[in-house]
Amino acid sequence: MTTHAYPNQARYLSVLNRAPAEAVKQFADALIPELGTITVLQNRTGLVMLPMTETVKGETFYLGEALVAEARVQIGNGSEGYAACLGRDLEQALAIALIDAASAAGLAHERIDAFVAEQSRALDDADRELLRYVEATRVEMETF
Amino acid sequence: MAYVAARGGEQATRQATLLYHALNGPITAATVRAIEQSLPYLVDRVMGEGSLYAPELTALAIAQAGGDLYEAVLLLRAYRSTQPRLAYAETIAQEQMLTTRRISAAFKDIPGGQMLGPTLDYSHRLLRLDVLDDRGATGATDAAAQSHNSRETGTDAELVQADEPAPATYPPVAAWHRLNGLLDPLPERDPVDPAELPDVTRDPISFPAPRAHRLQSLARADTGGVLSLGYASMRGYGLIHPTVNEVRLGYADVNLRHPITGVVFSAGRVRVSQAEVVNTFAEGQAKLALGFTATLGWNEVKTIAGSMLDLEMDSPDAHPAHTEEFVLYHTEPVEASGFCIHYKLPHYVTFSSSLEALRRVLDEQKAEASEQQGAPS
Repeated sequence: MTTHAYPNQARYLSVLNRAPAEAVKQFADALIPELGTITVLQNRTGLVMLPMTETVKGETFYLGEALVAEARVQIGNGSEGYAACLGRDLEQALAIALIDAASAAGLAHERIDAFVAEQSRALDDADRELLRYVEATRVEMETF
Repeated sequence: MAYVAARGGEQATRQATLLYHALNGPITAATVRAIEQSLPYLVDRVMGEGSLYAPELTALAIAQAGGDLYEAVLLLRAYRSTQPRLAYAETIAQEQMLTTRRISAAFKDIPGGQMLGPTLDYSHRLLRLDVLDDRGATGATDAAAQSHNSRETGTDAELVQADEPAPATYPPVAAWHRLNGLLDPLPERDPVDPAELPDVTRDPISFPAPRAHRLQSLARADTGGVLSLGYASMRGYGLIHPTVNEVRLGYADVNLRHPITGVVFSAGRVRVSQAEVVNTFAEGQAKLALGFTATLGWNEVKTIAGSMLDLEMDSPDAHPAHTEEFVLYHTEPVEASGFCIHYKLPHYVTFSSSLEALRRVLDEQKAEASEQQGAPS
């Protein structure tokens, strides 16, 4: 079975990767009974190289690498799911890959969407809080 | 130079390692978590030099090395070498980073404004002795930060939030220069395949180095080494008098491509710092020139000093200590510290050989002196 992208896949994965790992694992645990036979195709740690563009000549160079945990799974209906999240938490990667596979298969759509929306709000709020602190450090320099 | 392996002393070397750990105390998961949470700039520095973004493992490396940063960087690099490279992220661009600090010493009115962000730049550098007496415990909480701030400034200052958030992203200050014709426009470039860039971890560096090698080397360079050479330039050994065009701290998304669907998603965010310095009358001409350095983690000193060295390395008459080869070879922390400390390991045979040669010369000199004394005048 070919697995296709689903609406909001980028948002789902981006939010789940930054959401508290324990909450994501618990949510995925609750989904497992609905996923049929689960096959773990890949679950490992590894490195991702980070290219960056500089501002002098517009060239791209490697800033360094980041450690990620990666998982690829297949669920009962043949849909595949994938995840890669910063760090070395293999269970977190597995949980996100299961949610990805469930979403690709159209399973538990409303619950997943609600969970992602809740986590997304919390992350957006945290960003907004941080940026409000940053705004308070805006400085108007005067020269004499 | 020849190296000869030495054997023996297994019991002593084992005991030496045990004594090292005994004097440093036990390492626990709680110790590691405390380092990660309370010493973020130290963790950042080691991650940058280790060229691996892994805060938890970096805190472990610092704990395991008893705070010896070169040992910690080596541990991190050694761990890195055990891991497969799974993917290449999408290219990070300054204007997409969630920015928490962005200042310019060149222009006060930069587009988007000057955001001081988190910094001790404007604080008194006084030791908080009251913390030692348990009278003013400080921590990461807002309340403690407020209390700290109030005491430090002698005012009723409180950590406050503005009503509206700061912008999340800003254009590079250099873009403003280009808009105003102060810098040449960036050349048109074909899209690059991130997997095809020159990589100092896989290709030996040769000189003149590709710019990608230079900037990657600076990104993973020793902070102290970069500062030392950069400071030499600032003090007057350099050929330029640059100004900090921009210092930026922020978070960059690690954007990956889903291997099944091709959708790009974020695996999380990493802390990144970057600096640009600008030089007027570059190479004797009335034009601006930029230097650039970025690194993983928040490390302003390294990026500012590195940017100055980036400019110096382009100078046709750079001081010998500011040439590309000198800078890049001598600021590599693992190679430099490793080469330095290897001298304390047994060199008995090589040194014995040197002594033998020395004794032979001394004997010859003595014989010559005797001959001269005994010779008829």
